[in-house]
Amino acid sequence: MPREVILVDSQLGNLDSVEHALIQVGASVIVSSDPDRVATARMVVFPGQGSFGPTTRALVDGAMGAALRMVIERGDPFLGICLGMQLLFEQSEESGGFDGLKVLPGQVRRFPADMRAGEDPESARLKIPHMGWSDVQPTGEHFYFAHSYYVETPDPSLVMWWCRYGSVEFPATIARGNVFGCQFHPEKSQWSGLRFLRSFILGGRA
Amino acid sequence: MLKRRVIPCLDIKNGRVVKGVHFANLRDTGDPVEAARAYDSQGADELCLLDITATTEGRDTFVDVVRRVAGQIFTPLTVGGGVRREADVRRLLGAGADKVAVNSAAVANPLLIRQLADRYGSQCIVVAVDVRQLKPLPGETDPLYEVVIHGGTRSTGLDALSWCEQAAALGAGEILLTSMDKDGTRDGYDLAITREVSQRVPIPVIASGGVGSLEHLRQGLDPKEGAADAALAASIFHFGLYTIAQAKHYLADHGIPVRPHEAPRGVLITG
Repeated sequence: MPREVILVDSQLGNLDSVEHALIQVGASVIVSSDPDRVATARMVVFPGQGSFGPTTRALVDGAMGAALRMVIERGDPFLGICLGMQLLFEQSEESGGFDGLKVLPGQVRRFPADMRAGEDPESARLKIPHMGWSDVQPTGEHFYFAHSYYVETPDPSLVMWWCRYGSVEFPATIARGNVFGCQFHPEKSQWSGLRFLRSFILGGRA
Repeated sequence: MLKRRVIPCLDIKNGRVVKGVHFANLRDTGDPVEAARAYDSQGADELCLLDITATTEGRDTFVDVVRRVAGQIFTPLTVGGGVRREADVRRLLGAGADKVAVNSAAVANPLLIRQLADRYGSQCIVVAVDVRQLKPLPGETDPLYEVVIHGGTRSTGLDALSWCEQAAALGAGEILLTSMDKDGTRDGYDLAITREVSQRVPIPVIASGGVGSLEHLRQGLDPKEGAADAALAASIFHFGLYTIAQAKHYLADHGIPVRPHEAPRGVLITG
């Protein structure tokens, strides 16, 4: 019996590839933009790309935000991907400052513009977005990232895997009880990504 | 640590890969889906599909190719060619593309870049820039490059460096930089302009045009040579000269950080 997952459609980017990857690892996927439907889910995946802004404010303040909080508080497995993970935290400095769902402690910050590839200040300036394949620690696996903002949390016990870009070490994945998040795109991370999604689907863990 | 990317590119005309594709252990095929699957399983870091058809029917076929390819791979997919307006971007993203490259339309209307980046996020807007070196005037030492459009057939008078900087400032997430002088020559990227652009713009740069060997890929990615973040190539992979895995090994052996090739293991496959 495949695990039923509600894939939240909140107008924060293309869902097809996430749906395709979830099906590949054995989930039965229901795509929904209906907060009432999401509120009844036994397992939720909440993807997002793009930025904090008016769309995320409408979501956080609206019925969908309430539904997502309800699922999380009830203890059902929840996975936020990329912007979907960032939205679990308190605030973002993006677009002049927007609130998140405030489920977890932390802020969303932009990578500093002047990071260098090495210790030498003359070494190449790092590009933003952080785009491409980076390894995470402690597993050493590679995942695909595409983001200019990252989570900074005062609670390191939330962080399962770390990733480093320039001088910034940021959470690649977070976990607290039933709540999981990944900054990378598992649906674009080939076998590493599929394994990550499968762990979530099978165990409600990541 | 962020790795340098190797990106095979497929030119699509009327729904088929042109130039022909010949992989080791695979029959000759012009089917883009089969080619994409092969590259994906060889460990390509990303795939690029470029539409080189000119007709409306060809465009519809291309969207269908994007949809079928996106349904088969689990790596990022960049698509481009003939993207003129927001509706084209929406259609391609809707078909499963992760990033869309705009070229001539952005030159005609630079604000299109900002409009697309605001709407879809910078991370999915690639600005493709085709450049050509200008003949130096007497007394000039540094080569100048201009932007060309419509497949290199039309000059724009735009300085390549300034245009790339402007594209980045308008919200482009990446620059796909192709040297028209080098394209198809197989004698390597134009390293001078690639390095200049890569050092100047704050966003990732994909080197393109001219790859004929694995050493050319290395040059494009070496911080002292091309300094690009990603290396795009077509024919060396299509004609079965090298596999992606061979390219990765070569780069790793020569000090370029790349994602190691990983064979599929331990994943439940249902489809």
